[in-house]
Amino acid sequence: MTEIKIEMKNIGKVFETDDIETHALKDVNIVIRAGEYVSIAGPSGCGKSTLLSLLGLLDMPSSGTYTIEGLDVSSLSLDEAASIRNEKIGFVFQSFNLIDELSVFDNVALPLQYKKELPSDEFIKTRVEACLKMVEMSHRAGHKPNQLSGGQQQRVAIARALVADPAILLVDEPTGNLDSQSGDTVMAVLADLNKNGTTICMVTHDARYADMAKIQLKLLDGQIVKDETLKVAV
Amino acid sequence: MRKFILQQKQAWASLKKKPGFVLTVLMTMGITLGALLCAVTLNYLLLVEPLPYPEQERLFVAEHVLLGAEKESKGVAFTYPGLVHLYKSKVAFEQAAMMSYGQDVIISHNSQPLVNTAYVTPELHQILASPMAIGRFFEASEAMGTSNPVAILSYSTWQKEFNASKDILDQKINLSGVSYSIVGVLAENFVEPELAETGRETHVWMPWDYNHTGEGQRQSFGNISGNLKFIGQLKNGISQSQAEQLLTPLVSDRWQEGVMEIDFFKGWSIDIRIRSVKEVVIGKSESIAIMLLAGVVGLVLIACANISNLFMSRTAEKQRQMAIQAAIGATKKHLFKAMFAETSLLMFMSIIIALILAKVGFYIMQQYLAEVLPRVNELSFTPITFGSAIIVTLIFALFFAKLSTRMINYRALNTTLQSSGKGSGLQVSKKTRQVLIASQVALATVLVFANFSLLKDAVKTINAPIGFNTENISTLILNFSSTNFPTNEESIPIMAEIMEKLTALPEVESLSQGRTPLGGYSVRALTNVANNERYTPYFKGVDHKYFDMIGQPLVQGDNFTLTHRRDGVNVMIVNQAFAKQLKADGDVLGMQISTGRPEPFKVIAIVKDISIPGVTAIDNDNVTDGVPRVYIPNRLGGQSFILKLKSGQSVSRQQLAKLLAEVDSRYSVFSFNSDAEILTRSLFAEITTAVTTAVLASLVFLLAGIGLYGILSYGTQLRRFELGARMAIGAKRKHLILLIISDNSKAVLAGFVGSILLFAIAYIGLSEYIQPFLNWQVLPMVLASLVLIVLVTLFACYWPLRQYINQPAIHTLRGSD
Amino acid sequence: MTQPIIKVQQLDKIFSTDDMLTYALQGIDLEIQQGEYLSISGPSGCGKSTLLSIMGLLDFPTNGKLFFEGADVTKLSLEQAATIRNEKIGFIFQQFNLIDDLNVYDNIALPLRYAEQPLNKKFIKEKVDHYLDLVGMSSLYTRKPTQLSGGQQQRIAIARALVADPSVLLVDEPTGNLDSKSSDQIMAMLEVLNIQGTTLCVVTHDIRYAEMAKRKIYLLDGQILGQRN
Repeated sequence: MTEIKIEMKNIGKVFETDDIETHALKDVNIVIRAGEYVSIAGPSGCGKSTLLSLLGLLDMPSSGTYTIEGLDVSSLSLDEAASIRNEKIGFVFQSFNLIDELSVFDNVALPLQYKKELPSDEFIKTRVEACLKMVEMSHRAGHKPNQLSGGQQQRVAIARALVADPAILLVDEPTGNLDSQSGDTVMAVLADLNKNGTTICMVTHDARYADMAKIQLKLLDGQIVKDETLKVAV
Repeated sequence: MRKFILQQKQAWASLKKKPGFVLTVLMTMGITLGALLCAVTLNYLLLVEPLPYPEQERLFVAEHVLLGAEKESKGVAFTYPGLVHLYKSKVAFEQAAMMSYGQDVIISHNSQPLVNTAYVTPELHQILASPMAIGRFFEASEAMGTSNPVAILSYSTWQKEFNASKDILDQKINLSGVSYSIVGVLAENFVEPELAETGRETHVWMPWDYNHTGEGQRQSFGNISGNLKFIGQLKNGISQSQAEQLLTPLVSDRWQEGVMEIDFFKGWSIDIRIRSVKEVVIGKSESIAIMLLAGVVGLVLIACANISNLFMSRTAEKQRQMAIQAAIGATKKHLFKAMFAETSLLMFMSIIIALILAKVGFYIMQQYLAEVLPRVNELSFTPITFGSAIIVTLIFALFFAKLSTRMINYRALNTTLQSSGKGSGLQVSKKTRQVLIASQVALATVLVFANFSLLKDAVKTINAPIGFNTENISTLILNFSSTNFPTNEESIPIMAEIMEKLTALPEVESLSQGRTPLGGYSVRALTNVANNERYTPYFKGVDHKYFDMIGQPLVQGDNFTLTHRRDGVNVMIVNQAFAKQLKADGDVLGMQISTGRPEPFKVIAIVKDISIPGVTAIDNDNVTDGVPRVYIPNRLGGQSFILKLKSGQSVSRQQLAKLLAEVDSRYSVFSFNSDAEILTRSLFAEITTAVTTAVLASLVFLLAGIGLYGILSYGTQLRRFELGARMAIGAKRKHLILLIISDNSKAVLAGFVGSILLFAIAYIGLSEYIQPFLNWQVLPMVLASLVLIVLVTLFACYWPLRQYINQPAIHTLRGSD
Repeated sequence: MTQPIIKVQQLDKIFSTDDMLTYALQGIDLEIQQGEYLSISGPSGCGKSTLLSIMGLLDFPTNGKLFFEGADVTKLSLEQAATIRNEKIGFIFQQFNLIDDLNVYDNIALPLRYAEQPLNKKFIKEKVDHYLDLVGMSSLYTRKPTQLSGGQQQRIAIARALVADPSVLLVDEPTGNLDSKSSDQIMAMLEVLNIQGTTLCVVTHDIRYAEMAKRKIYLLDGQILGQRN
């Protein structure tokens, strides 16, 4: 049996605003193993985004336990969470979230800067170039994000997510801001990465793309309603 | 280190993107911190920095305080024999020197320049440890009573008048017919104690014996002179008050003995007052410096509020970026460090600009304020300047970085990432914004109003009517370059010839013998013969054409005649102020006034008051400075003249020197100044105040304007989506403009209330200073300040709104551009 | 055939950024008739929201023509557009777009306060009370939007959209920020409104809700891909 990358047990999340209490997630259980490609689908407001921020340690669960590569991360301080995000998690967002002021190269290099030990310039250069090559963006390394099309920006964002060699890639609606053709390209890049061993967890409401994942989870009103493991590899 | 450089690089890259922001911060902080460094350095120099003399804490100045019969102070000035007596007594002082200040013309020099002179005893050298550029200071062989004609030049005179000639020593210069041999040049870094007046530089130093006191006065205990000074080093263990107690009987007894025969001084005495040299030099400038610092600190506070606001909106703007960084693993410390890298870089650049501006400020003060503020020539970068620069840089950099990062709600960052830009995560809270607006308005209103009031007062003084003409009027004072001074009778024909030639000049319209109302007064002791009342009015000799020429009308009686002057008739014209002193109803024609001479003077006319600016308070309805003035007919041999030139004409000093030389080679030009120039000089403090306050008021207004604009426009930006929603519902421009104005008006009103509170606090704390300013005349100033602030606010409400209300609603609603 | 409320002819919307031109909408032809219930769906970025904002006079087309109740409104001034939005169009947004500083009552009353002719208080109160009742929120009219759940906020937004008796309701992803139960309630409420005669145009990417409309339009990359009744 392959290594368990991520394990969520009985995770719940409650939001309180003024006098209203909303249960965004209830009793969620998820296991993701090395090399898997998991999709989480569901309608707007079902709790996908909340689940993703818990998975990505952007937020802490109200109840339940969460482990990444065996490490309990259910309740961390903000700074501890930041360090683990840096080491273990690669994010890809719907709105790309590249920093406009930095070049493509510097954007991709950013996570390496927040390492406990700043790597050597040489290491950074090699690593960034390798990642840009994986997403076929080496030729735009010197460009600024606003000089790129949406699809290209999203590929840069994927390179940035990969650069620190994370345990898992968390992908949030990667095609939401793209036209259908660019969306297809980005999805193909993700599929390629997965084939080469990257573990991916993707949130999308696009049924077509959700189907590309080998494991498909369906979320409705904060609960997982379907856990479907496709036996058939591509 | 590599990390630090990387951070600075990234900070720079990020700042480069926002040139407007960087420029605003650099200009605002650069200018205000520059002013702050200037003010701090000045304050340190005036309040703390010791004078650059050895044992300066033991350096004191002794002064004669003349006390009347009721021990009331009649004035502070030495009599010549009184000073010499004090000097010779050698009591209380380790060593001491006498000084007498004057002006003279170097007649041996081609351009015949008028120079400031000082006549001193040699001890001054030890007391001040005066450094020399060349040669030496005076020695014992040049002490009192030796009559050894040697001279020392100031460094600037050596440079300017003698081209810094290396073989200056033993060259001769001639002043007042005495040929002095130059024995030394003072060093460039010599700092002359400004004992006589602020900003006066002595150009030529000569031994005490050559001072300009007349032979008769050297013996007279009845004549006082403000030009005589006594400076010395107190003996160890003797305090200021001990010295006063020791010296007072010594000097007072001798003086009373000296004036025994003069009725006028009956019952008067002398107190010796000892003041530290520092106190004499700094005088009231301490409070000017502190006021300046207070004003500048106010300015810095406004600037700081502005920049805080800018940093906060920048943080809000960057929230997305920071959220991204946090998502990929940046800790709070990382974000703080990145922010600190930016703020410290900005503050570092600001302080560099500030230092440059401070240097410019020093130069401006040295060029223009040397006569208003003491010691400004010593202004330069000191460890205090650099120290405060470093501290200020660090404090502001930390403050702004802390302020910015404190705003970040770290827990809410993820919402920023997931919602597509319509972030609610990070913003300056409404309360903070309201407080910023209110404090900005309060500070600006107070400062603008204060500056307005000072400006108005200064302008009022500058423009106040003076009661006499100065247009095209100049005073010519002759210099006599021989030691054998001519008697009145001898000089009458010479002066007559000079006057004839002057009148013949095509440029001259008319001529009067004497000096203009701006100078030539002395203070004399007078006695009303009828009741023996004593008075000390200003005293001035004028000719029969004087009042006509300057346009000062007689209100009663008849003018002097040529006969009065020729025959030396004892008649007198008094001004209204003195007439009122003499007799409550002012009816003084025919009154007999004694000057101590056997025959008293008879009052033959009353002349209107004048008001010499810069002397006393101005009363706009009645042109008068309230100074009692007495005029007597001057003698025909007098050596000064009032020239009224035809309009548009001018006469040069050289032209006059040539004319004089043709008549009698012993005469040259001592001074030739136009009244307009003298007036400008005497109004210098007011003009300086006017310029400074105008500049400060505009700066405050500009900064407050920028600040209000910044915070109001930020507030409007935050409401973008709300505005968009209102637009979608169908709100029109006027609805939105009114909405923003009415929402901001509360904070502005609170600011006005705050400014009233600030005034109230100031009033309670400083009522004695403020009281004279409080009358209905400040109302227009208050209104003007309010209107200005309101206008800025309205502008700041409307302008940022433009970009939303003049575009299709979707841009506002969606946040896409 | 009656006159359509909204008629779109050969409409293009082009966004230009730096050196790139993006066709958000291309050659759209569309009519919305009185009493219709129309849905526009398609994946994110297909241009459906842009189309809705142009039909709602929030934005202007690059090319093509737009008619509102027979009048050409392609080139209106901003102020004229504001007047038509105020009088004839009701909006419902994904983010509710209620004004946080105003209470529920004042939020609903807002469109009436922006009316060309000032309306009297009594009239406003009657209107607001009526629609508060209609969306079942009468008891909460003094609350601030932040004190309400998402579903409740959206109901207030519906009342606000209806208060000025508009000719058409334009609805943009009404359930995007709601849980499924609230979503169902809101969609049911919209359906009832339509049955009572309100003209509805709903943009959604949720196929389930798109199917509730009587006429469905599917958009992809700025073009109408298909249309079903």
